Amino acid sequence: MDEPAFEAFYRKTAGGVWSYIYRMTGDAAMADDLLQKTFFRFIRSNPGITDPDHLRRYVYKTATNLVFDHFRETKRERTRAIEWMPAEVRPDRGDLRHDMARVFSDLKPQERALLWLAHVEGNSHEEIAEAIGVKSKSIKVMLFRARKRLGEMLTKKGLAPEATR
Amino acid sequence: MTTECPFESNVIDAVTDGSWTESLRTHVASCADCAAAAEVAPWLTRFAGMDERTHVLPDPAVLWLKAKVLQTSAAVERAALPITRLQIAAYLIIAAGWAAILTWKSAALQAWINHFSPGHMILGATGAETTSLSLSVLVAIIALASASVGVAMHTILAEE
Repeated sequence: MDEPAFEAFYRKTAGGVWSYIYRMTGDAAMADDLLQKTFFRFIRSNPGITDPDHLRRYVYKTATNLVFDHFRETKRERTRAIEWMPAEVRPDRGDLRHDMARVFSDLKPQERALLWLAHVEGNSHEEIAEAIGVKSKSIKVMLFRARKRLGEMLTKKGLAPEATR
Repeated sequence: MTTECPFESNVIDAVTDGSWTESLRTHVASCADCAAAAEVAPWLTRFAGMDERTHVLPDPAVLWLKAKVLQTSAAVERAALPITRLQIAAYLIIAAGWAAILTWKSAALQAWINHFSPGHMILGATGAETTSLSLSVLVAIIALASASVGVAMHTILAEE
């Protein structure tokens, strides 16, 4: 991939990748750092892929690996959940934005990745499996459990959505 | 069943854009996976729509340049690795050589160094017997000294 092609690809995907990393880590500075690392790896590996969807999946897979590596290194992701929150969304504010971020951060990292990739990125089970490095057959059950857990948390916090149908 | 429900993506889309059909509603009522997806999809859509980014992302041209610089440095490091290993080996060999000479020929070296003391010099001038170092030891010392200076110079110049 040459520089103009990279620039075009970056402008198209970087925003989404940043949001994904940010929602996974809950840390904007960390999201910036991991975004750069993701694209550094992407350039270095120079994947011989031309299909834009495949390239996008490749970047998400790299980002997921980096985020999970980060969690393994710090092993503090659960306790850090509140620390990183910007002042405007701290618990004492009690606003919806904070409550939503808090609920999502209470999920396990893998559950966050599953839900984000399935619902926000619209990935298939096979694509999710590739990104998070598990067997494709396991995704159905894992995703079902993650959705149920999120549903329970939303009900408990009184954030359950209104009638969906 | 471990395979993905073929309607799952349609259900998520329907929740997002409201494109519900009667058949899709009927399906959701009978599919646990799609029902779970439909339950959390509105919340996730809303959550994903909240843009928390307050700054501009790094410029792709800068990222490209940085990545290329890092790639070059990594390549240089890789290329220099055999030289670094050779240097370490050379330092070890030279150190071992010095240790061997200083251990085995310490008495001869001591006597030879004493040879340069003022007392011995006077004795030498009066024609008294003086100690001399064997040629092989002298050659070994000169060779080791040259090698030490050579490797040190190489290290300095290579770093520069």
